[in-house]
Amino acid sequence: MRKTIFGLAVLAVTIAAPVRAADIQPAILYDLGGKFDKSFNEAAYVGAEKFKKETGVDYRDFEIQNDAQREQALRNFARRGNSPIVAIGFTQASSVEKVAKEFPDLKFAIVDMVVDLPNVRSIVFKEQEGSYLVGVLAAMASKSKKVGFVGGMDIPLIRKFACGYVGGVKAVDAKAEVFQNMTGTTGAAWNDPVKGGELAKSQIDRGADVVYHAAGGTGLGVLQAAADAGKLGIGVDSNQNHLHPGKVLTSMTKRVDVAIYDAFKDAKDGKWTAGVRVLGLKEGGVGWALDDHNKGLITAEMKSAVDKAEKGIVDGSIKVHDYMADKTCPY
Amino acid sequence: MSDPAMIVDLLAPVVGSGIRLSVPLLFACLAGLWSERSGVVDIGLEGKMLAAAFAAGAGAAAFHSPWAGLVAGIVVSVALALVHGFAAINQRGNQIVSGVAINFLAAGLTVLLGQVWYGQGGRTPQLANSERFLGLDLGSLGLDPSSALGRIWSDVISGHNALTWCAFLAVPITWVVLWRTRFGLRLRAVGDNPHAVDTAGVSVAGLRYRAVIVCGILCGFAGAYLAVAQSAGFVRDMTAGKGFIALAALVFSKWKPLNALGACLLFGMLDAVAIRLQGTPLPGLGTVPVQVFQALPYALTVVLLAGFIGRSIPPKASGIPYTKDR
Amino acid sequence: MSAPHRDLPPLVDYVVVPLANLTVAFLISGLVVLAIGENPLEAVAIMLRGALGYAEGVGFTLYYTTGFVFTGLSVAVAFHAGLFNIGAEGQATLGGLGVALVCLAFDGAPWWLVAPFAMAAAALFGAAWAFVPAWLQARRGSHIVITTIMFNYLAATLMVWLLVEVLGQPGSMSPETKTFEPATRLPFLRDFLTPWGIDLGQSPVNPMVFIAALAAVFVWLLVWRTKFGFELRTVGQNPVAAVYAGVDPGAVVVAAMLISGGLAGLMAVNEVMGVQHRLLLEFVAGAGFVGIAVALMGRSHPFGVVLSAALFGILYQGGAELAFEKPAISRDMIVVIQALVILFAGALEHMFRPALGRIFARVETTGGGA
Repeated sequence: MRKTIFGLAVLAVTIAAPVRAADIQPAILYDLGGKFDKSFNEAAYVGAEKFKKETGVDYRDFEIQNDAQREQALRNFARRGNSPIVAIGFTQASSVEKVAKEFPDLKFAIVDMVVDLPNVRSIVFKEQEGSYLVGVLAAMASKSKKVGFVGGMDIPLIRKFACGYVGGVKAVDAKAEVFQNMTGTTGAAWNDPVKGGELAKSQIDRGADVVYHAAGGTGLGVLQAAADAGKLGIGVDSNQNHLHPGKVLTSMTKRVDVAIYDAFKDAKDGKWTAGVRVLGLKEGGVGWALDDHNKGLITAEMKSAVDKAEKGIVDGSIKVHDYMADKTCPY
Repeated sequence: MSDPAMIVDLLAPVVGSGIRLSVPLLFACLAGLWSERSGVVDIGLEGKMLAAAFAAGAGAAAFHSPWAGLVAGIVVSVALALVHGFAAINQRGNQIVSGVAINFLAAGLTVLLGQVWYGQGGRTPQLANSERFLGLDLGSLGLDPSSALGRIWSDVISGHNALTWCAFLAVPITWVVLWRTRFGLRLRAVGDNPHAVDTAGVSVAGLRYRAVIVCGILCGFAGAYLAVAQSAGFVRDMTAGKGFIALAALVFSKWKPLNALGACLLFGMLDAVAIRLQGTPLPGLGTVPVQVFQALPYALTVVLLAGFIGRSIPPKASGIPYTKDR
Repeated sequence: MSAPHRDLPPLVDYVVVPLANLTVAFLISGLVVLAIGENPLEAVAIMLRGALGYAEGVGFTLYYTTGFVFTGLSVAVAFHAGLFNIGAEGQATLGGLGVALVCLAFDGAPWWLVAPFAMAAAALFGAAWAFVPAWLQARRGSHIVITTIMFNYLAATLMVWLLVEVLGQPGSMSPETKTFEPATRLPFLRDFLTPWGIDLGQSPVNPMVFIAALAAVFVWLLVWRTKFGFELRTVGQNPVAAVYAGVDPGAVVVAAMLISGGLAGLMAVNEVMGVQHRLLLEFVAGAGFVGIAVALMGRSHPFGVVLSAALFGILYQGGAELAFEKPAISRDMIVVIQALVILFAGALEHMFRPALGRIFARVETTGGGA
């Protein structure tokens, strides 16, 4: 009841005084890699910008430069009364947990990780489903029947991408070969395009002609190497098809932008809920990108195959294995 | 595994990758060689390379040409080299301290300016292919691309860009100039016994400045290679310690150009192996921690410095500011 | 480090010259801020307000200062022996390993019981990491600058391996150890001061700030009030003369580096046991290199080191606030300032000396000797 009244009050204020349209002061904390990583963080930025454009409500943001800054930045936001405060990336989890406890009246959200607190919304994605779809496309586009995967940091989350991808590839051609490499075991693995390029080159040298990356900034090197070698790359998180038109088969889109937009919007409309939100294919949280840049690469046959897979996943007839559920990949 | 074709299949890409990774090391290592042979210790190779990479990325993007990027990289790198020269030669300041300062200056300024100019987290704009040094395909030479020899040709030798060839060319040039010309002889003498050179009426400062400028030019090449050949633009902290590996290679090479080539190739190969083996089990060995390969260049250098496997002795007067006596 | 060009009175040598160098460094930093389109004076105001304007800011400033005092003293002690310890970063990293091992072994035990052992382990691990370069310098003549650089990288790779393969938690997404139990963590000063009406907010300053002050006193006593300190300074100024004075330069070099490494290692107690409560990669975050700037600026005197560590503490805390208020002036600006301080207070330290010397000579007719 109080919520409704509060919501009405917000509405009244909004109508009465459009200048100070906001009773919410959203904030967003990007992960290492920065807001223009053409990938994960940038998707968040796009969502926040969309919200700003539509509602006229401004937001604060901050890009951390090192791990030590996370907590301080979150607290800085909190102290200024920012809410909701959205933290991008699983590495922020322990900091969010700490700061959210200190400021129980503020709203927090975290992407890619679950923080179990009454004032935190945890947004996680079923990346395996989107990866499965691009795996289907990769297997069909590959002439050598050898495809590659380059991950960023070797963590369960990235293995989840890899596993779904392998599942999609094997669904098309059980004999197809998938080369898998991880860039590293530390945070630096997200921002090392040279290493990413070398990994992609080594896979291409071994015969791969489609390479999918889930490696943030490192992935720019993967796509570059694939394009340089005249092979195909597959982008991730944001739609990266435009980076090398005609050389990027598709992108596995993870709609962090939608998640951020929703978080801000829900808070503004008084519809905020805490708890875990799992966004899969059904919810429009993941998908694959088709636009002018890659439409020449996607044949009608590929399109119908991927549509079929999509339908199967949504209606439950195709189950894509979640690596993080049991830390194994059956494909 | 006994099949030679398979071994070539496995090794050729790693060797090719090792060559690509050793190029910036080689440029930087030769840069250090020039400087230290003249008696100016330079631990600012990292910073000059980083600044050059940034300038090259920005220059190539601004003028839509890789050559503009190369020139910009060299100009910025030489400017920093001159700051180091001024501190080390004119001011007789501590050369280590000056090198440290230059490393920090580059680390800070590149990201700061990159963020202000491009707003992409310190990155420079992504370069189109026409703005980069691309690989030069030398053709198939009539070799069957699937044969072992064909694989070696295509993966290891062909397909490198112009700057890679420059790096390997810089080795004999350095050797000829430093060991077979009068200028080179004097330059090395300045690093070993500046008083004798001074007594002979040759300007110590002049020679050292020339060496420092060559050092700047070579670091410029190294940075340009990183940003406009190997990658398509600058990213923050792009050098990631390569300047220090180059320094290790310099110690390893005992300040000799041909050895420098060997040391840089070795370190490049180690890097390539580490990249290739990340999380991949080896037959019979299981997963080898890649940190072993990453640590090897540093560990080997320390062992060599300790004099347990041959001695590595720097030029006698390196690091010591020259003061005219009375 | 290198001998001054001419003897100047202590006031000029220790106050006027460093101040002139610093002023130039900050003026150029101001120009950089101007170049990126911001107002330097406004930036300074925001920084000072963020670092000193409220109790919590002061708490953060003190926290940064604590770490810098340790690394600054570390570099300074080595300077006195004529050594350039560029490896404080790696020594502090290893110190963190020592702290974490102790805290994990006694996890759950009260902090006041664990702290002495943690400090001992930090100093021991840091010293051990400094020992090899020291011994190689003393006995095999290997240049300590190169070896300590190599040891920084070896420390970093060792740490990655340990945290990924050995100490890390299985299934965790980041390479770090488990978090220590609350009882084992160093308490925050804020918990003691709140009853006195001082609100340090969430600032992480902890009792290590007092240990840092004690360390400064210890270094002062060591360098200027003991026989070893005399030998240390003799070796630093003239190793050949030291031999004639019956001092073994090798032994002094090793001892100096052990102390230097131990001081660097102590920095980790502040960070690992006091703030992060777990061992994570790169927790040193460049403090070892800040130590170089701190020692140069403080002219290797403990009092100077404390002052310049405080200045860098202000820069780091104020800089974080500044980056928040003015995103254009990111944290990298602090790195630039740091570089300029090292350049002008270090490599170009003699630049203004002749001019200042002349001015001084004119004021005091007796002037400096030749």
